[in-house]
Amino acid sequence: MRLINLTQLSAIELDECRNKHPKHALIEKVQTLGLPTRKSEAYRYVEVEPLLRETYEYAEFAPKPIVYGEKIIIEDGYVTTAPKGIRVYYSDFDDVNMNHYDPLYFLGHLLSPKVIMIEIDGDSDIELLHRFTKSNTLISYRIVIKNQTNRHASIYEYFESKNAQNSLILYGYDIMVTQDSTLGIIKNQTINDNAYNMVASHNVKVGKQASMMLKTFDFGDSSALQLLNIELDTHAMVDTGHLLYLLGHAKRGTVSKIVHKGEHTHSTQEAKNILDDGARGIFDALIKVEQSAKYTKTRQNSKAILLGEGSFMVAKPQLEIYIDELEASHGSTTGQLNNNQLFYLQSRGISKIEARKMLIIAFANTLIETIRDGRQQEKIQKSFEEAFYKKDLS
Amino acid sequence: MILDIKNLHAKIGDKEILKGLNLSLEKGKVHAIMGPNGAGKSTLSKAIVGHYDVEITAGDISYKGKSLLELSPEERALEGIFMSFQNPVEVPGVNNAYFLRTALNAKRIHDGKEELNAAQFLRLMREHLTALGMKPDMVSRSLNEGFSGGEKKRNEILQMLILEPDVIILDEIDSGLDIDALKAVSEGINQMKDEKRSFLVITHYSRILDYLKPDYIHVLKDGKILKTAGVDLVEKLESEGYDWIKDEL
Ligand SMILES: Nc1ncnc2c1ncn2[C@@H]1O[C@H](COP(=O)(O)OP(=O)(O)OP(=O)(O)O)[C@@H](O)[C@H]1O
Ligand SMILES: [Mg+2]
Repeated sequence: MRLINLTQLSAIELDECRNKHPKHALIEKVQTLGLPTRKSEAYRYVEVEPLLRETYEYAEFAPKPIVYGEKIIIEDGYVTTAPKGIRVYYSDFDDVNMNHYDPLYFLGHLLSPKVIMIEIDGDSDIELLHRFTKSNTLISYRIVIKNQTNRHASIYEYFESKNAQNSLILYGYDIMVTQDSTLGIIKNQTINDNAYNMVASHNVKVGKQASMMLKTFDFGDSSALQLLNIELDTHAMVDTGHLLYLLGHAKRGTVSKIVHKGEHTHSTQEAKNILDDGARGIFDALIKVEQSAKYTKTRQNSKAILLGEGSFMVAKPQLEIYIDELEASHGSTTGQLNNNQLFYLQSRGISKIEARKMLIIAFANTLIETIRDGRQQEKIQKSFEEAFYKKDLS
Repeated sequence: MILDIKNLHAKIGDKEILKGLNLSLEKGKVHAIMGPNGAGKSTLSKAIVGHYDVEITAGDISYKGKSLLELSPEERALEGIFMSFQNPVEVPGVNNAYFLRTALNAKRIHDGKEELNAAQFLRLMREHLTALGMKPDMVSRSLNEGFSGGEKKRNEILQMLILEPDVIILDEIDSGLDIDALKAVSEGINQMKDEKRSFLVITHYSRILDYLKPDYIHVLKDGKILKTAGVDLVEKLESEGYDWIKDEL
């Protein structure tokens, strides 16, 4: 199938859809927003259009039985294993956020007859492995996460692929962080050698007095994009952090929109970007403070270190504010490694190459160290160092 | 003679700061440099360690009989030159102990010795920490990050003690130190004194010199060493300042 064809339905076909198709509202959304082109706001800095023009294998929805395992494994869009104590099942979903800005969010829902529902009871740390094993295939799935009030849960996401070249993966979360709970999503994703193409589009609602932590660690030499839409209810809090270490010709990063809806909401967003070779990092992030969101606090920052001749950072932190009373700070810097620091290390006998490495790792560590679970922190550290030393060996 | 500076001219940006400076450091001796603000004292120490700010336009610095000018900063350090910075930079994310061990092992490899493992290194460091009155958590923190002025200076001395260099340049190591810290730091320095090492101590105050008992006092002014004398000179400088010192040539 070709995704581009979806937007080229005739008026008659559309009318027919409207009458028959249970998801005609989604089709209309995709049509009005239009599939991403080079001119689309959210997709200006990556080349998604060619991906949508490709012809992909596409299989009818055919879930497999779920067996017990240590972690949740989703293979080519279907759950294969899930741990005890967590309810993972397929379900209809009628809570699509019709205000989302991303057409691929709607497309993802359109292409997923059922969503993968993950219901977390109690306090837990869950590992979620996404595995891709099919090439030239359109793999599309949506995950819905529900947690419980007064509970703390974290999901650690990992990615694995084998023979998944030229596949397009559209996935994403719809998350409702329940009132008075905390939820963490920590993503660790290295993509090398164009192992697959991915656009991940998420929708998060943080309930009253709830808090969400979203940390993403994106490494490697290949392109991908994640899009976030996060809404904060009264006294809700979100803490987001994004680390990029890119090399080669990767174009990768985050497009995000955080909307403060309720009073006394807090958001922080910190992007750290290390760009080598001809890589392009993207941090295109809007914080919107609505009229109803008095006493908002928000802090947003992007720092980029350019290591390569052709490396480049697109940093667009933006604030859109409709109230007078708030605490807000935002900014972005792009530069090289700090010469003073480099010299200090060298003056103690550490070689320039080693000193550079120490400083780059240090820069990354300031975000990696925000992951409090020691074992998970180490895993991310390892992924980073593998991506980093790969450059060294080549 | 361990370090010999001859007719050194050096620029920072377009401005000539050192204008034909001559200075020789003797083995086993403590040399103190005093001089007005902006005279070029820090520039001189930066020139010796190869700081990127400083461009040498004429003259030479030789160390153990060989010119230093062709060596990179790290090579100079490995050869045994050490400078404590007037304002040590903060390096967030680089663990202090890890940094120290990396530096020490680089030196040990250069000297043909075995590297120290983490446990051996920790033992070595603990001894020094106690002697310097440093809290053990200082080494598990990021290098200099959030350290007070005095803590930064002690951390410089800790590095000196661990690296055991042959030429030690201390750029205002005494500024910002409280009385106890000054004593601890001075004792650290005195403990390093031996017949092979030499010290270049840059200071504005006599207090640290009371502890260190320098062999020579040099006055750096107008980009040159304009006067060299014994320790008695300090008292005169403290009472009369630097105005009376003129280029006698
Ligand atoms: N990076 C720099 N850029 C421009 N000028 C500089 C720079 N570093 C030093 N200078 C100038 O060089 C001159 C000498 O500075 P230096 O730091 O060597 O003085 P100093 O003798 O150490 O003074 P102090 O006693 O105040 O530490 C000063 O005029 C100073 O402003
Ligand atoms: Mg100075």
